[in-house]
Amino acid sequence: MSLSEQDEALIRAALEGSARAWERLVRRYEGRVYNFALRLSGNETEALDLMQEVFLGVFRNLHRFRGDSLFSTWLFRIAHNKAVDMNRRRSLLMPLSALGGAGQTEEEVLEHFHDEAHEQNPQALLDTEQRNAGIAQQLSRLSWEQRLVVELKVFQSCTFDEIAEMQDVSANTAKTRFYTAMKLLKTQMEQTHVV
Amino acid sequence: MSCNETAYIVAASIDESLPLAQRRQLDAHIASCAECRDAVADTRDGMAHLRQWREVAVPRWQRIPESLNDEGLREKLRRARPRFSFWTQWLPLATACMLAVAVVLNVQVQIGGDGMQLSFGGNSQAADISEQLARFEQAQRSAQEQALEQLVTQLEARQDSANLRLMETMLEQFGSSTARNMEQVLAYFEAQRQQDMQLLQSSYQRLADSDFQTIRSVQQLANYVQYQGGQLQ
Ligand SMILES: [Zn+2]
Repeated sequence: MSLSEQDEALIRAALEGSARAWERLVRRYEGRVYNFALRLSGNETEALDLMQEVFLGVFRNLHRFRGDSLFSTWLFRIAHNKAVDMNRRRSLLMPLSALGGAGQTEEEVLEHFHDEAHEQNPQALLDTEQRNAGIAQQLSRLSWEQRLVVELKVFQSCTFDEIAEMQDVSANTAKTRFYTAMKLLKTQMEQTHVV
Repeated sequence: MSCNETAYIVAASIDESLPLAQRRQLDAHIASCAECRDAVADTRDGMAHLRQWREVAVPRWQRIPESLNDEGLREKLRRARPRFSFWTQWLPLATACMLAVAVVLNVQVQIGGDGMQLSFGGNSQAADISEQLARFEQAQRSAQEQALEQLVTQLEARQDSANLRLMETMLEQFGSSTARNMEQVLAYFEAQRQQDMQLLQSSYQRLADSDFQTIRSVQQLANYVQYQGGQLQ
């Protein structure tokens, strides 16, 4: 059975009321969704909230999944919408200066990447944390739309047509957004001597 | 000098499914346009840098949504319940077979203080099948009453162990949730158990009724056998 056939079998079983199938389906994708959320928010608490909202959305809409796209594509469409919702809520709660371009300081971002589960190997953890924190920090300086395009393209391998559909823009706008975002990232990488 | 195509060139350059003809056009443009050449290289660097992200393990969380606690959970548990009809639907047939065998083999049925005893052959020729069947019917009735009680006890035990397993799973799922959820779950189990017991008793009653119908038709069979025997003798 191919991966997508396995997904579809799990979806069918979950729709018939199998909690076990639902849990297996979630376990297949939770890592991708959690890391997606972590890169976007740069914050473990928000990432966990976002991931839970994504899977709740998937759960509620599972009967609408028709199998005409990959389940992962369908799932990330929901993830995209939930991320947009989250950002909207954030904008209402946070002062404008704390959003988008301003970003978090490296210490602030690093603080959120502490993971108790990996305390056995503090050095490896620190390397991973620093690397991830650096990436999250750079992403945090992009606008929310740019961040999402980069995320969907670089980490989720979505096509520009798929991204355009999610963001309700033309494919050309999605391409321009991506290019602009990558230019900004390049500038940041030069500033932080990554390149 | 500025190229208007750069964003689209960059997008095409990272498209792995780009058709060959377009790939050639792209390569030709990159070869002749320094701006796009740089942009494509920078994008590849940037993507490689971002992909150094190390996957972070997902913290513990509740995978089964809260909304499953109510209707979804009920539905789930309803499906998980043992099917009583499966157990009961075979009993009338089994009884009928047993009676038919008893009639054909001319089995002696003796009802004593300890219950029912069967013996084969012996003084069977003298036995009155009708009388035996009447006694058998009576024995059946009390055996059924006993069986009902046993079945209820067994199923009660079965239900409890199934519920215990289910409960363990639920505790795992709802480990982080409130005590109120557990109360709901427990209340639900109790309600289900009561419902099951009622269902069991009513279906057993139907079974008992149908059994006596079976016995009547076996009686007809017995008369027929007796008649045939009379002819043969
Ligand atoms: Zn060009």
